Amino acid sequence: MGVFNYTFHWRPAFQALPAMLEGALVTIQLAVLSMLFGIAIGVVLSLMRGSKNRLLSGFAVTWVEIARNTPALFQIYIAYFGLGQIGIRLDSFIALLIGITFNNAGYLAETFRGGMRAVPPTQTRAARSLGLSAVDAYRLIVLPQMFRVVFHPMTNQMVWAILMTSLGVVVGLNTDLTGVTQELNVKTFRTFEYFAIAAVMYYLIAKFVTLGARAIAWRLFRY
Amino acid sequence: MKWMPLAATAALLTMLTVPQAFADKLDDIIASGVLRCAIVLDFPPMGSRDASNNPIGFDVDTCNDLAAALGVTPEYVETPFPDRIPALVSGRADVGVASTSDTLERAKTIGFSIPYFAFEMVVLTKDGLGIESYESLKGKKTGSVSGTYEAIALEKDVTAWADPAGSFQAYQTQADVFLALAQGQIEATVVTSTVAGATIASGNFDGFMMGGKAPYEIDYVSLIGLRGEYGLINYLNLFVNHQIRNGRYEELYKKWVGEGEPPNLMIPGVYY
Repeated sequence: MGVFNYTFHWRPAFQALPAMLEGALVTIQLAVLSMLFGIAIGVVLSLMRGSKNRLLSGFAVTWVEIARNTPALFQIYIAYFGLGQIGIRLDSFIALLIGITFNNAGYLAETFRGGMRAVPPTQTRAARSLGLSAVDAYRLIVLPQMFRVVFHPMTNQMVWAILMTSLGVVVGLNTDLTGVTQELNVKTFRTFEYFAIAAVMYYLIAKFVTLGARAIAWRLFRY
Repeated sequence: MKWMPLAATAALLTMLTVPQAFADKLDDIIASGVLRCAIVLDFPPMGSRDASNNPIGFDVDTCNDLAAALGVTPEYVETPFPDRIPALVSGRADVGVASTSDTLERAKTIGFSIPYFAFEMVVLTKDGLGIESYESLKGKKTGSVSGTYEAIALEKDVTAWADPAGSFQAYQTQADVFLALAQGQIEATVVTSTVAGATIASGNFDGFMMGGKAPYEIDYVSLIGLRGEYGLINYLNLFVNHQIRNGRYEELYKKWVGEGEPPNLMIPGVYY
């Protein structure tokens, strides 16, 4: 017997494209929201980590350590079933969003910290000596340079966020691309067709993000 | 005739080699001495694990019987519900003894034997939620195991009711559905009467109770093999027939489900 005892049924599989595209929109929505929240929390965490207050820096270190050293699957599962155990019942979408945001924030906090350090303190001093206020020096000199450094790691995290949304099925999400695909799969057992289409969609979304980011970087970061 | 010995040799070679080329799955199983059964082990009493983690249940015993009939050793490939068919198609398992509902949609992809068991569906809920019948699921948060017969039927009804307060969640395993029900993520699920009975009896979940019968068609389940493996499917059909003929079906029902009549596997008024 061959390894692949299977004949592809592409025609019925392609009929599911509209449903899968709708799922892809939910996936993009989740990834974008988790990045926006993740960036905001990440900035706060990186500032907290640099703080002299032991409580604040301890909190930030703990967050970053858990987010970076445990599986994203575990973080999402905890957001749904872990919190559920203590009576906090979240919707699957929200639990997944919290799980991915938690992960994003942890990684981005470290990215931002590294980005801050990459801008030499002499830049601030030079800006101040040229007469810029502290805020202006930070806003006009430090942040643009930091942004240039962290832009590509941020793009990577965005791609990673898109791929992480596929873990929503473990907490009962059935509206995102993987959720829709899995439902089609179990109803028809045409696993390979649907998963292949889903894989192509994930690839295109991720590719669109990296190419888009490259175009933005090309516009913004020319010397 | 100088070419005669040559032709005879060629014919002999053909006879020896060609049957090899036609060896099908049934031959492969017999030759390898191992029958690999895809079995779902979070679906008591059909499949589960005992205190020392050994696979047990109606499906496990059925796999053992099938292996014994074939004269080979059984091997269990634990498979969550959604992965049953990928396990077969990718060659990780030879047959599925996994309570697989024989839907026409799935039959486009895999081969079904005649039914070897049948389920009735009931509502499983928690006390105090006011769910007493299938109709009272309207507007409730429900959930089930992705892709099962009952999940497909329940989701269809939830969609048809179109009650904004109602919802349907699909989880990947039966264990997750029970966890979600215990935690209140969902308020009710629909499961086979056998699973409901076994789960309530297990005492693992506080307050679980039956919420009446679900008005679905009887869920006939079959053994599964690759769609093109007629030799194997033919053998599976005869095997199921013998299980009933020799009383083993009734015996296994009493052992795993309890007293009473095992489900009738004949559909009145039609040939299979």
